[in-house]
Parts: sequence; structure tokens; C-alpha cells
Amino acid sequence: MEWLRFILTALFLGIAVLFYITAVLGTFRFRFIMDRVHSGGIGDTAALFFVVLACMIGSGEIMTILKLALVLAFMWCTSPVSTHFLGQIEYYMDRQLNRYVEREDHHESS
Amino acid sequence: MKSRLRAWFDGDLSGMEEFVQVTETPDATHEDFKQTELAFEESLPQNPRSRMIERLGRKSYHILYRVVAVTSCIVFIGVMLYVIGHLSRFGTDNPRADEVSRRYIESGLEETGATNIVAGMILDYRAFDTLGESHVLFTALVCVAMLLQLDRKNTRRDLEDYYTTTLDVYFRTSQDRILQTIGFFVVPFIMMFGIYVLVNGHLSPGGGFSGGAILGAGMIILSCSLGFKTADRLLTARRLNLVTFIALAFYSISKCYVFYTGANGLENHIPKGIPGAILSGGLILPLNVAVGLVVACTMYGFFSLFRRGKLGSD
Repeated sequence: MEWLRFILTALFLGIAVLFYITAVLGTFRFRFIMDRVHSGGIGDTAALFFVVLACMIGSGEIMTILKLALVLAFMWCTSPVSTHFLGQIEYYMDRQLNRYVEREDHHESS
Repeated sequence: MKSRLRAWFDGDLSGMEEFVQVTETPDATHEDFKQTELAFEESLPQNPRSRMIERLGRKSYHILYRVVAVTSCIVFIGVMLYVIGHLSRFGTDNPRADEVSRRYIESGLEETGATNIVAGMILDYRAFDTLGESHVLFTALVCVAMLLQLDRKNTRRDLEDYYTTTLDVYFRTSQDRILQTIGFFVVPFIMMFGIYVLVNGHLSPGGGFSGGAILGAGMIILSCSLGFKTADRLLTARRLNLVTFIALAFYSISKCYVFYTGANGLENHIPKGIPGAILSGGLILPLNVAVGLVVACTMYGFFSLFRRGKLGSD
């Protein structure tokens, strides 16, 4: 049983590392900010989920699993909101964004 | 002119084309830099001798730069290794250096009653230092309030709306359903965690400064997501002043008592309790709470002063 748990932990940690590599590459190589925000969001959600899953399987204690689930719930609540706000501030502040997306113009009203 | 200036201040760029250039050019790439470099090279004097001198100068500058960088790195590493070589070996006794820290580690639990040695150190052995730190925080808050607070003499009527409403409307934080819902659910947990870190400061890692920072961050998230009106119901300017004053005064008075009895060899009447229990450690638990409240009030006060120019509703 012990080796199965080890293999599962290593597998999920490897998947998480793959997602993190995706996130880092996207954040540094993309030029448009929405793409970079998106790839950062992948690191915040998917990679974090696999890290926490691997930690859960690796520890095996019920209290640790519950605490890790709380951590996951908290991070899944908060990091997408900050990602959303990065995108939203870009949406309101960037005047060149009209080249990429259709939007109503908020600037003249304020 | 004044209204145009105000409009520009509010972020409106229409009619301002002669003052402000809205750039539509994309970011410069590596090829652009290369082009600029080539153009620069062509603009150099065509005399082959002067061009050669120019190239040689640039080349020697690069060589000199590398030599100086590598030499300073090697000197720095050598000095560090020399110092490390003169330290005592790990695990051996060094009576000159670690007399104080050994005293803290060996008899800290017995003398302060705190399981967390760091809390016992900063709030018992070195409480005077922490007293100064919390007063520094308070002084910083007072200075920021002196500079930024909008009062009768420091208010411009035409900018008042800008501080109160325009920022919120511009970034749509007060209308964002996602932020409001998440803030509504998350803020109580953040507050609870902050109070836990505060109250458990003498038992587990944490304490006044970290717990107060978490509490202040919770207040900032509350005022960001649910608006300053909601935050004002919890912490008005009067309450903020009162809490800071009571915390600092309690810290000063209780530490005066401890210093007085300690310096004169009198008996200290504050019970230490059983180490590990929540009510133990003598004065460390209430002092942790006092420091944490000062830190939380300072953080929220900074945010509120920078954001809207006042500490809270009057």
C-alpha cells in the first residue's frame, strides 16, 4: 500500500510541476496582458489543486486532509478574484485594448 | 482651464491631445533595439580612425566592466569565507557569543512562562524594544494623518468627490458582485485567523505583529469589497483612536509596573500560570493583544488615509 501511495504522490506532484511550468512560461513569454493573467491563473488553480492533492495522499491523516481541503477552498476563493481584478483593471485602464476586444467606453462617463 | 484640468485629473483625455500624447505603438522588440543600434553605428563619424577608437573604447569598457564585476564578486566571497572560517564549529560551545541566547533557550520557559520562546523574548526580556516599536507605528500613523487627513483647512471642495466616490466608480469595486460575495464569506475567516494568531502568540508561532497584520489585512479587504460604509460600522475614527490609545497606555503602564518591581527587587504579583495553557505566560498574552491591535489599527489607518483622506467616519 505504501508504494502505491508514494507513486500517486509523485505522479500528482509531477502533474503540478507541469502546470507550474506552463504558468511560468506563459507569464514570461506572452506579450498581451490577458494571456499572461490567464496563464498565471492556471498556476493559481490547477497546479495548486494537484499540489494539495499530492500532499493529501502523502500525509494520509484525516485532520491534515481536512486542513489541506480548507487551504484549497480558501485559495480557490481568493486567487481567482485577484486574477479577475488584474484583468478588470487592465480592462478599464488600457486604451489600446480596443484593438483586441469589443467594449463600451467607460472613460467618457466618469 | 480649471474644469479641463479637473477633467484630466479624473482620467479624461479627450480635448487634451495637444498636452498628452496617447501612444498607439506596440512594445519594442529585440529587432527594434538591433535596428536602433545599427542606426547609431551608422551615425558615427565616417572617419575610419575615429570609428576604430569608438569601437575600441566600447570594447575596453565592456572588458573593464566584466573584470570589475568578477573581481568584486571574488573579493566579497573571499571575505565571507574568511569570516566563516573564524566562526566556531556548529554544535560546539562558544561562551563569548551565545551566552545570552543560551540563557533564553534554557530558562526562557521557566522565567517567562511562554512556550513560544520568541514571544517570551520580545515581550518579556526585550519588552522595552517592542514598546518602542509599537510607538513607532503609532507615530507613523500620526505623521501620515498630519499629511493626508482632509480637515477644515485641508479640503478642496472640488476634489472631495474624487476621494469619496470617483475612485470607487472608476474601478467598479463597489459594484463588483464577485468581490462582494467572496469578501462577505472570506473576511470573517480572516478575522478569526488573526484573532487566533494573536491569542495563541505565547503558545505557537505568531504573536502581536503577525496577528495584527492579518487583522489589518482583513479590515482592508472588508473596506475594499463591501465599501467603506460597512467598515465604518466596525471601526470609526473615534474607536480607532480609542483602541490605539488604550492599547499603548496599557502596554506602558503594565511594563512600568514590571520594570519598577524588577529593578527594585520587589515581588511580582502577576501569576505565570501553567506553561501551555491559554491563560499563561503572565503579561505576554495581554501585551500580544495590545501590540496586535496597534498594528491592525495602523495598517487600516494607512489604507484609509491614503484611499479617502480620513481615518473613518466622524
